[in-house]
Amino acid sequence: MPRLVIDDLQIEVPEGTKVIEAAERLGIMIPRFCYHKALGSAGACRMCAVKFIHGPFKGLQMSCMIDAQDGMVVSTTDEEAVAFRRQVIEWLMMNHPHDCPVCDEGGQCLLQDETVSGGHGLRRYPGRKRTYHDQYLGEFIAHEMNRCIHCYRCSRFYQDFAGYRDLGPMQIANRVYFGRFRDGPLESPFAGNLVDICPTGVYTDRSSRYKARRWDLQRVPFLCIHCSLGCSTVASARYREVVRIEARFNESVNGHFICDRGRFAYPYANLADRPRRARVDGEDASLAEAVRAASGRLDQISMNAGPDAVALVASDRCSLETLAVLKRISREKGWRHPAVFPRPDLEHKTRRAVSRLDRRLAVSMRELESADFILAVGIDPVHEAPMLALALRQAFREDAGIVVMDPRPVSAPFDFDHVAIAPAEIGGCLSRITEALSALQADSAAQGKETRRPEAAGPLRADLDSRIAGIVERLRGSRNPVIVCGTDIVRDSTPDRAADLARLLLQLKARPCLFFVLPGPNSFGAVLLAESPGRSFSDVVQDIEQGKVKALLVVESDPFKNFPDRERLERALDRLDLLAAMDYLPTSVVGRAHIVLPTCTVFECGGSFINQEGRVQRVEPVHEGGIPVHQVSGGGHPPRVFSHEVPGGEIEAAWRTALEVAGYTNARDNLSILKIMAEEHPGFARCRDIPTSRSFRVLPDAGDRPPVCEETGDRAAPEAADTLEVVLVDRFFGTEELSGYSPVIQNADSEPLVFLHVRDAEPLGIAHSDWISIALEGGGLEVRAGVSAQMAEGVLVIPRHRLLEWQKLGPVPAQIPFGRISRAGKE
Amino acid sequence: MLPQVLFQNRKPRRIATMEEYCRSGGYRVLEDIARGKYSPADICRIVGEAGLRGRGGAGFPAATKWMSVPVDGAYPRYLAANADEMEPGTFKDRMLIHVDPHTLIEGMIIAGYAISASKAFFFIRPSYDSSAMILERELERARQAGYLGDNILGSDYSFDIILHRSGGRYICGEATALLNALMGKRPNPMKPPPYPTVKGLWNRPTVVNNVETLANLPHILRNGPEWYKGLARTKTGAGTKLFCISGKVNRPGCVELPIGTPLREILEEHAGGMRAGSEFKACLPGGASTRYLTKDLLDVEMDFDSLSAVGHRLGTAAITVFDQKTCLVGVTLNLLQFFARESCGWCTPCREGLPYIRDLLWRIENGEGREEYIPMLRQMSRDVWNAYCALAPGAASPVESLLTFFEDEVREHIRLKKCPFSRPR
Amino acid sequence: MIPEALKRELLERTARAEHPREMAVDVMYALQGYYGYMSDEAMEEAAEIVGMTPLELEELATFYDFIYRRPVGRYVIRVCDSAVCWMEGYQSVVDHLTSRLGIGLGDTTADGLFSLIPVCCIGYCDRAPAMLINRKVYGELTPEKIDRILQKLATGKPAAGEE
Ligand SMILES: Cc1cc2nc3c(=O)[nH]c(=O)nc-3n(C[C@H](O)[C@H](O)[C@H](O)COP(=O)(O)O)c2cc1C
Ligand code: SF4
Ligand code: SF4
Ligand code: SF4
Ligand code: FES
Ligand code: FES
Repeated sequence: MPRLVIDDLQIEVPEGTKVIEAAERLGIMIPRFCYHKALGSAGACRMCAVKFIHGPFKGLQMSCMIDAQDGMVVSTTDEEAVAFRRQVIEWLMMNHPHDCPVCDEGGQCLLQDETVSGGHGLRRYPGRKRTYHDQYLGEFIAHEMNRCIHCYRCSRFYQDFAGYRDLGPMQIANRVYFGRFRDGPLESPFAGNLVDICPTGVYTDRSSRYKARRWDLQRVPFLCIHCSLGCSTVASARYREVVRIEARFNESVNGHFICDRGRFAYPYANLADRPRRARVDGEDASLAEAVRAASGRLDQISMNAGPDAVALVASDRCSLETLAVLKRISREKGWRHPAVFPRPDLEHKTRRAVSRLDRRLAVSMRELESADFILAVGIDPVHEAPMLALALRQAFREDAGIVVMDPRPVSAPFDFDHVAIAPAEIGGCLSRITEALSALQADSAAQGKETRRPEAAGPLRADLDSRIAGIVERLRGSRNPVIVCGTDIVRDSTPDRAADLARLLLQLKARPCLFFVLPGPNSFGAVLLAESPGRSFSDVVQDIEQGKVKALLVVESDPFKNFPDRERLERALDRLDLLAAMDYLPTSVVGRAHIVLPTCTVFECGGSFINQEGRVQRVEPVHEGGIPVHQVSGGGHPPRVFSHEVPGGEIEAAWRTALEVAGYTNARDNLSILKIMAEEHPGFARCRDIPTSRSFRVLPDAGDRPPVCEETGDRAAPEAADTLEVVLVDRFFGTEELSGYSPVIQNADSEPLVFLHVRDAEPLGIAHSDWISIALEGGGLEVRAGVSAQMAEGVLVIPRHRLLEWQKLGPVPAQIPFGRISRAGKE
Repeated sequence: MLPQVLFQNRKPRRIATMEEYCRSGGYRVLEDIARGKYSPADICRIVGEAGLRGRGGAGFPAATKWMSVPVDGAYPRYLAANADEMEPGTFKDRMLIHVDPHTLIEGMIIAGYAISASKAFFFIRPSYDSSAMILERELERARQAGYLGDNILGSDYSFDIILHRSGGRYICGEATALLNALMGKRPNPMKPPPYPTVKGLWNRPTVVNNVETLANLPHILRNGPEWYKGLARTKTGAGTKLFCISGKVNRPGCVELPIGTPLREILEEHAGGMRAGSEFKACLPGGASTRYLTKDLLDVEMDFDSLSAVGHRLGTAAITVFDQKTCLVGVTLNLLQFFARESCGWCTPCREGLPYIRDLLWRIENGEGREEYIPMLRQMSRDVWNAYCALAPGAASPVESLLTFFEDEVREHIRLKKCPFSRPR
Repeated sequence: MIPEALKRELLERTARAEHPREMAVDVMYALQGYYGYMSDEAMEEAAEIVGMTPLELEELATFYDFIYRRPVGRYVIRVCDSAVCWMEGYQSVVDHLTSRLGIGLGDTTADGLFSLIPVCCIGYCDRAPAMLINRKVYGELTPEKIDRILQKLATGKPAAGEE
């Protein structure tokens, strides 16, 4: 470990650490523009010049370009270095507009800071300033090229780091221009990060432009709840409105970046039609009145029909606090345990995944980046867990091999081998791989013995054999393989099979190697708190139909969003004596509930979530609840109606309201939420000691539990040759519930396509982007077809998109006969 | 008669044919190689002993560069012949191609063999299209003759040369930018480490040499290192050098002379002396990115070491001569116009600093100069040395030397509020 | 669209290259030869041939001096404006050309025959002042010589190569 001296302070750093980084560890922030921890050194801006006094380098050198070495003595305050840096600033300001007051970056601009701190205050350059034309880059990002200082961060992020190919440097010399070939939306689902990494105001967040200066914002370390990864963010609010989400560095989860879903989903919290007033039987009521009404009617039903007639419904966007409280009250009241998952298979697979993960097996997203071979099964990374795609790309950039086994037409910003097979085949492939690998292992352990060939696990296509053999070889040859497994489209036993393979790899390579992707931001927490076997929402529907359930308390959940049979759902809800809904979204359930109890978003009340690798992350509220000032005053400011109460300010966190509905009051029971959580699950006891922005994992140590593979009969692959198996899938935009409410995302989203394989499409005379109509149980679905050769045959991939009435599907799993798919007349 | 090595087959207005080259001893070294006379290490050793230094401008010892290819370096390996030649004043590489292309081709094969490369790219600038066509034709002839391609002359060495036409930019001549250009990327330089000889084209070991450097190889191997060293007129020098003389002399052109030939002799005997009415004021001794060299140094020996001993650089040995009627502020402005235009745009000192300098010079030349521009120019021509590659420091050389040797001339512009010279028309 | 034969040839050449991207400039030259300049359409066609995105190719096209992204005349006259030529009469060459052609630097004649653009040193400093027309170099320029060259080009007779 080289030891060096910077500004008279000694420090020892790992081999390969740049001097700029070593200085930062000492708390010395050497000015920089092009250097960025995630993007590395570029040596372009020359802003990080320092004086090397002793050691292998002498004189003025760029601290971002030189590895710390033994015996170096470096001065960052040397006069020559300071003067040179001032010169660099003058050069950069030569062409930079002097209009900080109208620039949205003002107040959070690196160039502003370093111009001031560098001491460049007087313009000497007598010439004119260079100007550029700006481009339209889509709904998310504004472009003001005149502000560019040519640090090349944007192109290095966009192309090298993220792997997208439609934004980069053009032209030469002092005309270099960063943009697209022509105007148009940026193709990368990670483009929003340009806003964060650009040190000036070239790229700014259109959704928050001109809303506030950074110093006016309430900025809080926050957490993304738009998929199961749980990326770290910074949320900013002003005037009771969330105005901006930025990425926050997280060593173990997302690194420096987030995806555009995570960045631009926030407007759901500001919706004008958000439920702000409690309602009882269609009439506005105070929260207290509504709580009383709900409480009374639920107790009534409990008394008349038994507590069993009351069911709780929640979702995986509920915080751990809410889920713990619901568990507590359901137990104490005897109500049915909350159903969190929409479908039994999701509940089952999530539970299996969670129960198979332990401390030694689980890899974090950061660790995934150093894998040298990755087998991803039943997952379409960009769409289901966007930042996973970026992590996989980093592994790919370090020459990792990647195999994706999935029926969908997967596309991702890295090269991979696509084994396009139907969901039913994935588990079998995994088993065969595990068997072959352990057989090889046994053979090499007991050489000389007759080689045992593993039997194929199930009837699999012959052409798969060589690909499986290839995967086995690559797993064997790799130092650090990782298995990534999705839980949405795979069969029930697939998570277990992935875990079996991972366990074997752990024995062979002694490194963590299992990464699950779960259905939602708090799926992990939900199954930790669930009774076993858990119930899903479809069980609840059945119980309503059978008259066993008479009242529903639906907490932050919208079954209309994800229950595949809309008609049946409506019929069931109509049978209820009481439908009470608690939510912060204007959902369909809220629309038809007898009693509506508005709740706070996480921005307003904070909360804890457990991501897909068992990491408990807790955040504080960003701002106090209430109707945004500009909605109260009709945009005018200051508000013209004066009162001592914050309009809409009586709303509370769902868990508080739920406690009250169950008859607890804070004063009387003096219950601390942390205590409830700890009592509901011992793993949560640590929540007490953990400050926000720190996290811990609730994973068992290895070896506590032998793997219990519940034998569940997987659904076989459909036999009939004349049907397509429906595979319902998530999509980057349009399927995730919260972001679906974001106007900016709605504008940016593209038309959803239903995909089928060319060989399935051809006999039907369907070509790519043709309109087709599919006759579903609940009626016809008109949609554009995507036709691809890069996907499995025999499947019909339907996104659960908010613009598609896929809820006409009827009972799932579904098979669609070819005869029910045809080209539509529509053009 | 002076020893003519690279130009030994020079014919008036004609290109030496492959047969003529062979008759003069050409491709004999290649035959020896095919026969197994030399190992790659032998070639490196001999060329090292001969003291061959790179002719592309930096004067880096050729064999040292080759030997920095790691012994266990990956394959395939590549050679890139640099015929970008966009340094103003320089045209020796063009002459070489038009005089005796096969000495170049054989040189490339030898260098390729020395580093165990299987492929070479000949990188040529677009304004040399006629040269490119000659090369394409002669490469095909060499291929027909079995000098290029699979199993050269029946040996187990295979090697081919691919001609790559540049899109045209000065920075493409910088070795690492050239590699990016060849790979179809933006031709920005790439600071080592890793060195191209370790990770160059597509991350494989790659050697970049100037074409004149390469053309020397057949002759060194044919005649031995001692002979080669003996060609030079200085102790530390070796071989001959192609000098390009342009500007206010009677016979501008390209001549091959022993390394270390004194500047005065080059100008007077080989360039016909100054034109009538012209008096030597200064010259750029090695292309646009060298410092102005003044009268008092006319006797300097034109060799890498001798020039650097007096604070100058041999560069590309392109001597551009200015007379007493030429405004050096104007010349410097012209040069900066070139450098600012050709900056690749990667780093701040060059991308922004050079246009700044150009602007100040323009103001001085056009009567808008101010006294305070002089210290600004001086400081900035120092500061651009901290650029990413050698382009900006090269650009600073004429500016810095203008202020060092011709400060009075600059001040005169400022005082008169106009250029004291009649602009050359 | 470029002719099928040309496209096929370029695809074949690209397939022969070790990496398709090496061919980016060659393919642009070929399409420029066909279209006269690289229109947006040409850029898209070329990008497809070398397996790059239009933006990636644009990064190169706009970097290089000899790829024209705007229409140019049939003959692109590029007058050397670097030090030696500048000293030896660049300005009078440009003056003569602008008055003969009736256009300024950077312009194209109305008949689409000539464009006039400066260029940096073309490596013919021993024959300064010099210029390049398409691929041919003309040195030691005088007004008379320029007139003869323009005459020849304008009347459609093949330009006599100087080199
Ligand atoms: C801006 C710049 C332009 C250059 N142009 C050329 C060139 O046109 N031809 C050349 O051979 N070397 C050129 N060089 C030098 C090359 O970087 C490199 O040193 C040379 O090609 C190596 O060959 P050599 O060792 O045989 O001299 C240039 C360097 C710089 C910094
Ligand atoms: S646009 Fe921003 S990130 Fe990109 S080069 Fe310019 S200043 Fe840097
Ligand atoms: S990857 Fe998931 S958690 Fe991360 S920012 Fe995107 S949606 Fe949010
Ligand atoms: S000095 Fe900088 S901008 Fe100039 S050519 Fe070199 S890398 Fe490019
Ligand atoms: S931060 Fe080091 S050169 Fe830009
Ligand atoms: S200066 Fe004009 S050709 Fe070199």
